[in-house]
This record gives sequence, structure tokens and C-alpha cells, in this order.
Amino acid sequence: MPAEAGAAGAPATTRFRPPPWLATAALLLPSYAWLTLAVLLPLGTMFAFSFLEATPLGNRPVEWTLRHYRAFHDQPYLLGVAWTSLSIGLWTTAICAVVGFATALALVRATAGRSRETLLILLLLPFWTNGLVRVFSWTMVIRGGGFLDVAARSVWPDAPSLGFLYTQPAIVLGLVHGYLPYMVLTCYIALLAIDDAVIEAAMSLGARWPTILFRILVPLAMPGLVTGAILIFVPVIGAFMEPRILGGRVGVTMGTVIEDQFTQAFNWPLGSALAFTMLAVVLGVFATFSGVLRRTAQA
Amino acid sequence: MLRIARLYIALVLVFLYLPIVVMAAMGFNASPLYALPFEFSTRWYQDLAGNDRLIEAGWNSIWLAVLTSVLATVFGTLAALALWRRSFRGRNLLRILLLPPIAIPWLITGTAMLVFFFWTGIGRGLHAMLIGHVALAIPYVVLVVGTGLQTMRADLEEAAMSLGSTPVHAFFRVTLPLLLPSIVGAALFAFAVSLDQFVISYFLSVPGMTTLPVEIYSAIRKGFTPEINAISTILLVASMIIILGFARFARPGGLGDSR
Amino acid sequence: MLKLSRRRMLTLTGSGLVALAGSRHLVRPARAAGRITVLNWQGYGTDERWAVEAFTEATGIEVVHDYFNSEAEMLTKLRTNPGVYDVVLINSARSQQAAGEGLLMPVDLANYPNAEGLAPSLRENEYLKTDGELYGVAWVWGMNSLAIRDGMEAPTSYAALAAPEFRNKVALFDDAVTMVGLGALLSGQDMNDPSDMAAVVEKLKEMKPNVRLLWSSEDQWNKAFSAGEFDLSIYWSGAAVRSQKTFDLPLQFVVPEEGAIGWLDSFSIPATSQNPDEAAQFIDYMIDPGFYTKWAIEVGAPASANAAAMEALPEDNLIRQIHDPEYLETMTLMAPLPDDRRETFNNAWQEVKAFYAS
Repeated sequence: MPAEAGAAGAPATTRFRPPPWLATAALLLPSYAWLTLAVLLPLGTMFAFSFLEATPLGNRPVEWTLRHYRAFHDQPYLLGVAWTSLSIGLWTTAICAVVGFATALALVRATAGRSRETLLILLLLPFWTNGLVRVFSWTMVIRGGGFLDVAARSVWPDAPSLGFLYTQPAIVLGLVHGYLPYMVLTCYIALLAIDDAVIEAAMSLGARWPTILFRILVPLAMPGLVTGAILIFVPVIGAFMEPRILGGRVGVTMGTVIEDQFTQAFNWPLGSALAFTMLAVVLGVFATFSGVLRRTAQA
Repeated sequence: MLRIARLYIALVLVFLYLPIVVMAAMGFNASPLYALPFEFSTRWYQDLAGNDRLIEAGWNSIWLAVLTSVLATVFGTLAALALWRRSFRGRNLLRILLLPPIAIPWLITGTAMLVFFFWTGIGRGLHAMLIGHVALAIPYVVLVVGTGLQTMRADLEEAAMSLGSTPVHAFFRVTLPLLLPSIVGAALFAFAVSLDQFVISYFLSVPGMTTLPVEIYSAIRKGFTPEINAISTILLVASMIIILGFARFARPGGLGDSR
Repeated sequence: MLKLSRRRMLTLTGSGLVALAGSRHLVRPARAAGRITVLNWQGYGTDERWAVEAFTEATGIEVVHDYFNSEAEMLTKLRTNPGVYDVVLINSARSQQAAGEGLLMPVDLANYPNAEGLAPSLRENEYLKTDGELYGVAWVWGMNSLAIRDGMEAPTSYAALAAPEFRNKVALFDDAVTMVGLGALLSGQDMNDPSDMAAVVEKLKEMKPNVRLLWSSEDQWNKAFSAGEFDLSIYWSGAAVRSQKTFDLPLQFVVPEEGAIGWLDSFSIPATSQNPDEAAQFIDYMIDPGFYTKWAIEVGAPASANAAAMEALPEDNLIRQIHDPEYLETMTLMAPLPDDRRETFNNAWQEVKAFYAS
């Protein structure tokens, strides 16, 4: 499907067939040229900065060093921070996966046609509001004496405060809220492609619903779950707004540490070294994860 | 079973809309500090009507998001076709290269863009913001459309081609309709990514030419007033009406089942 | 749907291209005389609508604003946008760094009629000078000290931040320089150059059971305080006035015996400014007692560096009461920090924060 012929929907009689590599290149070129110019080259520059002694603007001499990559060794408390971020990331991803998959499944199996479209759009629309405003609204719901408490006390006047603002669960809540739509959409796309006949066949063979769920639906929807997990886990590790606003004292994560290096400390080299270390860890996690997946798929 | 599933969807919707309802309600609360008890007032909507800066920023945001969504969806879909329908060397590397823009915190990407655009003469302004937004949205589009391609059966295209269709013809008659839910979903996400993007816009905007998220982000220090809630609510309700209207009156099948 | 969206796509791309072409002229920096660009925190005096209008009316000079959210960002914007800015707000602790990089123009106070009223210790402040040359016009000053909820006993020492009666009721300022300075004051050291960092860290870690929140913006502070999240906090003096005046928050600003952590904000003209004369006029307007009293009384502001402006405030004005001129002598001004010390401060504060979170 050569891109250059795509615009006109060329007639079936076209004789010209470009070599396959040319078509592939043509398909890839717009995206990757754009990505290279606007993101990859700037980030490459930042990567180079991470080996510098100090932030390279102004009239400081350029000195190369590896010391920023030793940060986890020199400042051991960073390991604790990294662990907090990982666990927040894992919790967020896991909750999104369960809730999002179930939502997508309910959409595909229990609704149809126009009402399904409407519901899907309604599920994605909260995403169109400003993240900052959304997170801020959560603080008003979950703080002691906030909307949650007001609601609880309207049912049971003596209810103890349910407020959990400035805790780790509060951060996870805010992140789940912000990232759930990704999982719903990717799982929905994957589940949509599963043929009804497969499920009907399984049912006629007497399969129970857990069997259908775990043997058919989950494996077939795996690409959706994996993409959803990538789109959630990867940015959540570096998130700084939600931890800062919802986490209070406990809101110290890799995201906030890196942000501080850029806003307060003016230490770009350390900030980017931490960010690229984080990227390496995230890629490592996914490499292991996809390896495990492939092996289980073969088994 | 059906009833439980529908109830579940309703619960998820309640969860998703809870803070949004709070946001909308606080736009009508008199207290500038969002303090309770609630006291009804349209003061913030009146203030907003006189706040040209905020309104103009809102329009800029919408334009930028629409353009970003269109460009990123077209480019990203093409790239996804190559990455999931063709095999070539370096394919895995290209897929991995999609991750840094998502993984590296936007603050770093924004700083990097500012410095790099300065060096290369691209500078700042709406054009720079568009370049940045499209670049950030492309990985999301590629991954979402890629998911659609992975779960879609390639044999249908092959069947079409073996029946004499050209690849282009097969694409428009078979692949594209099947892929449409993914593409529309990806476009909605690209739109959201752009609409919510404050860090990069913040670095790349020029004085006097900003977007709504930038206005909100810059206002953090001084404090944002419920005017922000008011304009956010207007934006959300407007997009809801437009999108739902579109879904209602357009030919069904866009986002829905197209098996 | 497909057909529709294809047609829409064309229209949108078309109009987008037009918008892009149109935006070209907006991208260019304002070089025309009669228009200056100010780089400042948002909502920090210069962008008051009435002030800009009055200035434009008096001089015919149009004022455009760009904002920063951190000092590091302000420096980055100065460096990467030569020719764009005409006036920039710089904290005295950053002035020498910017001037040392050649980002600023020297100022001649003779061009600023209102400079005569500036408090002498601020007008010729050593931190505003680099190699003996003055690079900034002192504008406003303030203190970081304690704010406590009304009706509670005013603490006499910063040690109250670690006192058991404030368990889970304290908010700290998420800023390395202020917090390390605080730890240094508490352990009896020089705030700008503590020799015993371990003692500083120790003092800050003692506050852990009390710390509820680390605030980073006035807005966050106001909303959390009004929701009753905390009773005692490190706070800015100017913000304390605004919180009381604008939002009726019940608080008292206290300077304990260790003294306040002082800061001074100044205006400079970037070396690449195309409109230095117009910029100077604007800066002079900013230190004018007329502008200041209106800003202070109607909006709420830090203390003016202009002693004449302070005296123009009514006796009972809160700003005037809080910013007693004698504090100018007792407080310690935040000093410019060499890179390695700044890094040490930041690492120490990160360590303390990680400890709070654990």
C-alpha cells in the first residue's frame, strides 16, 4: 500500500509497483522525520547534557563526567524514591488493567450500536478536561471534611472521616482516573476484533465463563492490554503533578525529584541522567515482561 | 449478566465524572478558594466573559488540538501500517523509539525542545507548539492503531488482494473500514494529548499568544480562580454536545462494531 | 462518517495553514519602539491591568508579559530568547549569575528619578552588583518566616515546627534554599553557608511527624490552609498579607528570634533588549510610590524597596506593620550561591523529602 498513490484511491489497473522498501520508507518517513526533528534530536541533546558537569548554558566550561549516573550510588535515598515510583506505577497499571478491561468487555458484550458509541465517547471525554483541574477537584473530594465525608455523613451522621488526601492511595487514585481511558480504549479495540463464533463455539463445548475469560478473551486481547500498560506505566513513573498535589508529604517520586532538578536546582545534567536511567529501567521491565509473555504463549 | 455489565459501566462513569462534576459545581461557587459550604454564584462566568485573554487562549487550544489530531493521526496511521504490516530490519528499534517521548517527563522534553528550537532557529510560537504537539501525539496514535492492526485479521486483505485487488484498493475497501474504530480512537487521544499539554506549550509559547493549559499552569503561583472551572466546564459541555451530536446523526459504525 | 471527516479534515488543514502563516508575525519579538516585553512571575505587580493601562496612557508604551514558574526557567528563557525581553524580574540571589553570564545591562540610577527614595541598604546592595557595577534596580523585599493560625500562641522559635503540639499540622515550603537556611538557623549556623550540613539535615528530619504538606505555590497554600489542613507554616510575608486581605484567612505572620530569611527582588534590563529606554521608564514607574501604594492597598504586595513608598502607606496598613524597617537590619538576605553549594543544598533537601515520604 504505497502512500503516494493512496490519496486518490488509485484505480485497480495501476501497473506501477514500487519496490517494497520504498513503500515502507514512504509510510514511515512523515512520522519518523517529525519525531526525529521535534523530539528525538532534542532528547538526544539532553542525553548528551547528562554527561556534563553542569548545565551547559552560559559561559561555563564544558566538562564531561559520568558522576550523574552514579546518583543512585551516591545518594542511596533515591533507591527508596525509585521504589515508591515503581510501586505507584505498578498499582496504577494493575488497577487500570482490571477496571479498564472489564469496562471494555462490558461495552463490547453488553451494549451495541449507537448506545455503545455514545458510552465509549462518554468514557473518553473526561480526558478532554485539563489534568491539573481534574487533580485539583479530587483534592476537594477526598480531603477530610470534603465531598466524600459530606456524602458519607448524609447517610450516617457519625461516620468517621474517610478523607485520605496526602497518602499514597490518593496519588494512585488520581493517576488511575487520569489514565484509565487509555486502557479502556486499547482493550476495546482488541476485544472488538474477537469473533463471536469463537466464544459461541467454546460455550457449546461447555466452557464456563472463567475458562472463556482467561483462555480466550484475555489471551486474544493481550495486544490491547500490553499497549494499554505501556501507555500507562511509562508516563506514570515520571508523573509529578499528581504526587505533588495529592501526595502532600508522601508525594516524593522520581517525577518530582527530576522536576526539582529542572525547576529549583537548575541541574539539567542530573535531571536528565535520572530520567534516562528511568527510561532504561522502564524498557528493561518491558523487555522482561514481553519475554515472559512470549514464553507463556509458547508453553 | 447483561444488567450487571451495564451497572458496572454506569459505576465506572460515576467514578470518571465525579471530579468533573465537582469542577463544574465549583465554577458556580462564590468562594475564590473553593471553600465550602456551597454558595451559588454566576460571578465567575461574568468574570470570564470579560477575560479576553483566557477566551483567546481557549480558542488557540482548540485550533492547536484539532490540527495536532489531524496531522498526528494521518502520519501515525501510516507508520503503524508499516510497523505492523510489513517486515523489515530495524522494525523493533523503530518501535522502541516511540517510547522516549512518552517516558521522558514532559518537563525535560519541553526544556530540550526550547533549547533545540532556539539553536535551530525554529523559535517559539504557535508553529513551534504545533510541531511539539504532533511529535508527542504520534507515538500514541501509532501504538493505538498498531493495537488495532495486531488484533485485526491480515488474511482479509490478503484474500482481497488474491481476488485481484491492488494493495491500495484492498486498503481502502478492507483494511481502512476495519481499522476505523482504532483510527477514530487514536484521533480522540491525539486531541486529548494536545488539549491537556501544558508543559511543552508553556516553554514554546510566545508572550501574548498562549493556550488554555498554559494560562492555567502559569496561574498556579498566584492561584487559579473558579474562572478556570468555568471555562473548562464550557469547553467540556461544548465538546460533549458536538461529539455526541456527531455520533447521533452521523452514519453509525464509526466507533462501533465494524466486523 | 468517513466522507464527512475527510471533508472536515481538508477544511481544517486548510484553515490551519492559514493560521500558521498568520502566526508568523506574532512570532517575531517586539522590536518596534513603544512596546516592551516583561518577564516576571504571573500576578506579581507588573501585570496588574490598571497599572499597565495607566503606564501606557502616560507614556504611550505598550506592555506585553511573559511568565516563568521557576528562577531556573527565567534564566533559560533569557538565554534562549535574545532580543525578546526588555524587563526581567530577578531575585538578588540570582542577579550575579545572570550578570556574570552577560545576560544583563548595567543600570545607571541617574535614569531612575524614583531611585532616590530606595532604602540605602537595598539600593546599593552588594548582591545586585557584579564586579562593582550595578545590574539591578531594587524593587520589593520580603521575608520567609512563620505563619500561624489566629488564636494560637505565636511561636518564638522555628523549633515550633518540630514541637509535638503541631503533630500533622505543619506545612513546609518546598524550596531547598529556604529549608536548608531554616535548618541552618535552627542549628545556629550561617544560613547561606552552613558548615555542618549533617546538623541541618538532622534538624529538618525532626519535623517529620508534624509535616502534613510541602507547598510550592501561594494558591496551594491558601486552599489547604482554608480547608484546615495545617496550622503552622513557613510562608512568604507578602503572601501572608494577601491571604489575610484578599481571602480573609485567619492567620498571623511571626518573625521568631532566629530572624527571618530575607529576599530582595529587583528589575534588570536584558543585554539584548531593543528598548532599554522604554524599559527604564517602566522600571521607574514600578518603584513609584503612587503605583506601589495602589498595588499594596488594593491587591496586597511585599514591602517596597522604596522607603518613600513604604511611608506613603497608612500607619495601620498590614504590609507596613509586618515589614518593619528594622527587619531590614536583622534579617539575613539570601545570598548568591556557587553551583556546588547549590547542589549540596538541593541534595540535602531531596534527602529530607525522601525521608518525610518514607
